[in-house]
Amino acid sequence: MKRATTIGSLGSVYRYRELLWALVLRNLKVKYQSSALGFFWTMLNPILTAGVLIIVFTNIVKIPIQNYWAFLISGYFAWNFMAQCLNAATYTLGEHAPLARSIAFPQEVLIISTTISRLIEFAVELLLTMAVLAVALHGHVPASYAVVPLLVLLQFLLCLGLQLPVAALSVFFKDVQHALPIAIATLFYISPVFYAADFVPDWIHEAYLLNPIAQLLTLYHDAIYRGVMPSMQAIGTASLFSLGTFFVTYMIFNRYKHLFAEVL
Amino acid sequence: MSSVAVRCAAVSKRFRIYEHRAMSLRETFIRVLLRKQALLGRPYFALGDIDFAIAKGEAVAIIGTNGSGKSTILRVIAGIYPPSDGEVQLSGRLAAVLELGAGFHPDLTGTENVAIYGTALGLSRQEIRERFREILDFADIGQFIDTPVKYYSSGMVARLAFAVAVCVEPDILLLDEVLSVGDETFRDRCFERLRRFHAHGGTLIFVSHDLETVREMCTRAIWMDQGAVRMDSEVNEVVDAYLAHA
Repeated sequence: MKRATTIGSLGSVYRYRELLWALVLRNLKVKYQSSALGFFWTMLNPILTAGVLIIVFTNIVKIPIQNYWAFLISGYFAWNFMAQCLNAATYTLGEHAPLARSIAFPQEVLIISTTISRLIEFAVELLLTMAVLAVALHGHVPASYAVVPLLVLLQFLLCLGLQLPVAALSVFFKDVQHALPIAIATLFYISPVFYAADFVPDWIHEAYLLNPIAQLLTLYHDAIYRGVMPSMQAIGTASLFSLGTFFVTYMIFNRYKHLFAEVL
Repeated sequence: MSSVAVRCAAVSKRFRIYEHRAMSLRETFIRVLLRKQALLGRPYFALGDIDFAIAKGEAVAIIGTNGSGKSTILRVIAGIYPPSDGEVQLSGRLAAVLELGAGFHPDLTGTENVAIYGTALGLSRQEIRERFREILDFADIGQFIDTPVKYYSSGMVARLAFAVAVCVEPDILLLDEVLSVGDETFRDRCFERLRRFHAHGGTLIFVSHDLETVREMCTRAIWMDQGAVRMDSEVNEVVDAYLAHA
């Protein structure tokens, strides 16, 4: 049987770019049109959660980081983007089962469309964060901000790379829906979201940075909070991890995607 | 260019039976441990060794009892289910209406759903804009086009979905029992539209239980029985044999 190659599949995603864009617009419309406050809610939720974390970790559990609020928001929204996308991956294919059963199209388009619509929201959060920190923390626009678009691109690829296997497994196993929240809760603690990566003891530091989410969050902290250019080595490693994860999992996804329409 | 629009060469389709659709991990684990079954359920044949060629411009009906494999063969031709064995060759653009209104989002308006459905069928947004008037005229749902689809009647959903699929102007059109929805007027208009499609050289393949329609619309019929082709011939001959059998 003919199986889709990774490059061939990327080509077919490109051919369905019109569908991809229509789905992105739809995701945003469905989310915002029925609520009066619309986009405000997307902003409010992570801001409130970040606010709680800031209050707890500056007043109760005192984490020794200067301007803790600025440190937290420089990485928190990136983490939130990741967690929400992973969560969406468990139900996106199931939700679109009727469409998949009546029209043949590359189903990764569905996953990519949810990621892009979240990415648009994340971009707004990130731009606001950078603007606020430029004014209230740095007093100028640090040169290291220039690397942020690259970090977002790497995160987008990593995010897809983690979503694709989650989505494929969710088609066959209901367990994924139950297991994923546990995985996300664990990732929250083993990634530098509310503490800095240099708090991690030396003996485990290397193993700690094998977590690609930890690598990326550290880069965001450097570029946005510290205002220093991350090392080329750190960026290179993160790029390898992101690209590698994406290509390997996309290959696996392509191997099983022909079964989705009949199982769903 | 060959004169064949659709060729099925020794096409088989095996499905696996999933007891609970999405299986539990525990179940798979136990199965693998007991070495009882392969990872993914028991296989069963939905289609066995199907061979036929449909020429360009033919109008072919696929008839048969429930569970005979009619819808499965349409989905294999449409590329939704890959065949387990054999090969399907197509020449030309294909559009399929297999589940009416499938993929319509209830909270979105007709216009917004047309954008998704049309692009999934392979149209560009530019093409949809150009054909929007035609879609609107055919669907005949008036100002409801800007109302969320959840307020539509099933007939209105059917009309809109059908209108989008025919405006794709495919070379090959697959229809699965979709004309049974909708009132007389709508059905007459669909038939009129299908005749026009056929007259312009379009290839039509449709599944129907309405044998009168089959006789009227098609020149050839394929009778499917238990996943195999039982008879493939001139339409009246096949329908008569099918009726005599039932």
